[in-house]
Amino acid sequence: MTAKRLRVFALLAISMVFLLAWTFPIIWSVMNSLKTDPDVLAYPPKLVFAPTLDAYRDVLFGSGSILPNLLSSAIISVGTTIVTMLMAVPAAYALARLRFRGKKFAGFYVLATQMLPPVGIIIPYFLVLRNIGWIDTYQGIILIYLSFSLPFAIWLLVSYFEDIPFEMEEAAYLDGASRLKTLWRIIIPQVRGGIAVTVVFVFLNAWNEFLFAVVLSGNTVRPVTVAMFNFVSVEQTLWAKLAAVSVLAMLPVVVLGVVAQKHIVKGLTVGAVKGGGRR
Amino acid sequence: MTSFKPTRRTLLKTGTAAAAFATLGPAFLRQAAAQDADLAPYKSAQIDWQQVSGETITVAVIPASYFENLITLAPQFKALTGIDVRFEKIPPAQIRQKSVIDLTSKTGTYATHAADPMYYALYVANKWVEPLDTYLNDKSLTDQAWFKFDDVIPAWRSANGINGKLYGMPYDGEVTIQVYRKDLYDAKGLKPADTLEAYMSNAAALNTPNDRIWGAALRGVAGAGQNMYIYPSIFREFGGDWMKGDKLTVNGPEAEAALAWYVDIMKKYAPTAAANWNWPDIADAFSQGTVASYIDAHSSASVINNPEKSKIIGKVAYARWPKGPSGKRTTSIWNWGFPINSALPEKKRKATWLFIQWATSAETQARTAHKFAGPTKRSGVNRTSIWKDPDYIKLMNGFGDNFVEATMGALQDDTDVDWRPRVPQWPAIGDTMATAIQSALSGQATIKAALDDAQRRIEPMMRG
Repeated sequence: MTAKRLRVFALLAISMVFLLAWTFPIIWSVMNSLKTDPDVLAYPPKLVFAPTLDAYRDVLFGSGSILPNLLSSAIISVGTTIVTMLMAVPAAYALARLRFRGKKFAGFYVLATQMLPPVGIIIPYFLVLRNIGWIDTYQGIILIYLSFSLPFAIWLLVSYFEDIPFEMEEAAYLDGASRLKTLWRIIIPQVRGGIAVTVVFVFLNAWNEFLFAVVLSGNTVRPVTVAMFNFVSVEQTLWAKLAAVSVLAMLPVVVLGVVAQKHIVKGLTVGAVKGGGRR
Repeated sequence: MTSFKPTRRTLLKTGTAAAAFATLGPAFLRQAAAQDADLAPYKSAQIDWQQVSGETITVAVIPASYFENLITLAPQFKALTGIDVRFEKIPPAQIRQKSVIDLTSKTGTYATHAADPMYYALYVANKWVEPLDTYLNDKSLTDQAWFKFDDVIPAWRSANGINGKLYGMPYDGEVTIQVYRKDLYDAKGLKPADTLEAYMSNAAALNTPNDRIWGAALRGVAGAGQNMYIYPSIFREFGGDWMKGDKLTVNGPEAEAALAWYVDIMKKYAPTAAANWNWPDIADAFSQGTVASYIDAHSSASVINNPEKSKIIGKVAYARWPKGPSGKRTTSIWNWGFPINSALPEKKRKATWLFIQWATSAETQARTAHKFAGPTKRSGVNRTSIWKDPDYIKLMNGFGDNFVEATMGALQDDTDVDWRPRVPQWPAIGDTMATAIQSALSGQATIKAALDDAQRRIEPMMRG
């Protein structure tokens, strides 16, 4: 074997080890979700076992079905993502391209809201929502999620907008396009990758959020992150069911990741033409 | 005899009716099940159960079988009182946080919630909850002869009282006992420990990690209700006092001896992973036959006797907490009680009391325990009379030798209201102590340094 081939094999082996380390928690969850409770508890852990879909059947169609919770999570996450993107794209564009008074302050202010620890603001949020009767409602939770997803999305998008060369925009103006039309027709297609990345992250953050959800939700709106804890009671942890719910909760995120993968790769390497900048 | 010739119309009619019954029938039957005969034992109480009919209240509970059983019976309560109860299930770690937010903001979202006894001092200092004697002594609201308050386990009543006044009615509770494998003990000619010293030597005799059996396990994970569930008992048994005058003291010589005992047994005879275990993990390990003994809540008996999971059914026996060097046994007197939220308007407060009275009455306690139709039976009923009921005793003794005797002995004689310091600052103090215990266990700090550090952090909390 040549030295080059040996090197390739070594690299491959190392990557396999890393891959295994990173995917281990997921593999473990999937395995546990297919086991019976005694198999989950078996020590040493059973790698070979008779798989069963009992846990999935119970969590999906049993008395404490998590289907409504998955639906709650979907409504909250999709809602948050749509509203966030509708507001973040123009805001990020403005911060990247427009000249206006107090721009620096506005940029900093948006970022500053991210610095507050969530635990510190949960009581005021609770009170506000309570007073307008929005506790345990979709609009209430989406509104609160906007408070952290919007600044995050704006800051992520600004960097993408800044990377688009001015010349492209100027060419559009010369052709008589309005600013809005330019944004829609010229700029947005350029930052599609960035938008895809932002959508994935905003969706993910909303999907995985727990702290606000547990306080601001109730019986009507209860995302899967909160419902999952019902399998950890004071009496016992129902490991197989917990694993099954975790796998089900992971699925939409994985699907979204796969669908958006092409854009994400593009987004991470950032647009074809470099050389923009902030005005 | 007329022959029956079905027409399209009659077929449709019959079909629709049958379909309607198939969908709604069970609901009607359930509703019917919550009628007359079921309600008779409650109606013998000399109060007007319907006095605030039409009210709706929300009750926060944790996901646990003993509350599930209660939720199943809620239609009976509705039929009895006309009050609608909306249950919200919140994970145990978050129910405290969520109810404190609700109480602080006085929004009255939860009429009552499953409350931790250690929180009453905080609730009462802020006047967030109502003293329950007002309701107990009001003849229009409570028939004392029927409710029999004295029948409620005294230890739990005193745990839920501040300055002699009751603030939360115990619904389901627990007590700490010693759980051991009688087969392993018998094989070595050992007896359940009567003292902490004997407990340690039993653990040493049984500890054979090569055979995958460890001598003992106690809660190791850090948290106010976790490692700080076990340590306070040891601290008290070593003769420790939380308060010296007005000052909370956690770093005296008794504390050092107590923590040293805990660290010693955990390091020498517990599985290494137990440093991160809470009680379900201990019960799981015990049920798989890898732990010879543990000291924890008596309610874990249902987990270690779960026929679907446990490998040690029939090999389990129980004993009381071993005595400490002070000669005392001190078990937890923990329970989930129901307080009344002060922020509620009067009618809702009455509705809440009627709910609490119904849920904690001997009748409902029995119906959610040995008389419950479902598979899960409660081992934490709040009534002394039920603990003496032969049917209940028979059911409980199915958990293993000496279960009822150990539990009742512990509940009646081994308790101490000051098991943990009952001060409003407890939640923060508990967390600080929990961290100190963990740092001693993990070897990050010496026992003395860990306790001194905890004392330094707790002093400013006590000042205010």
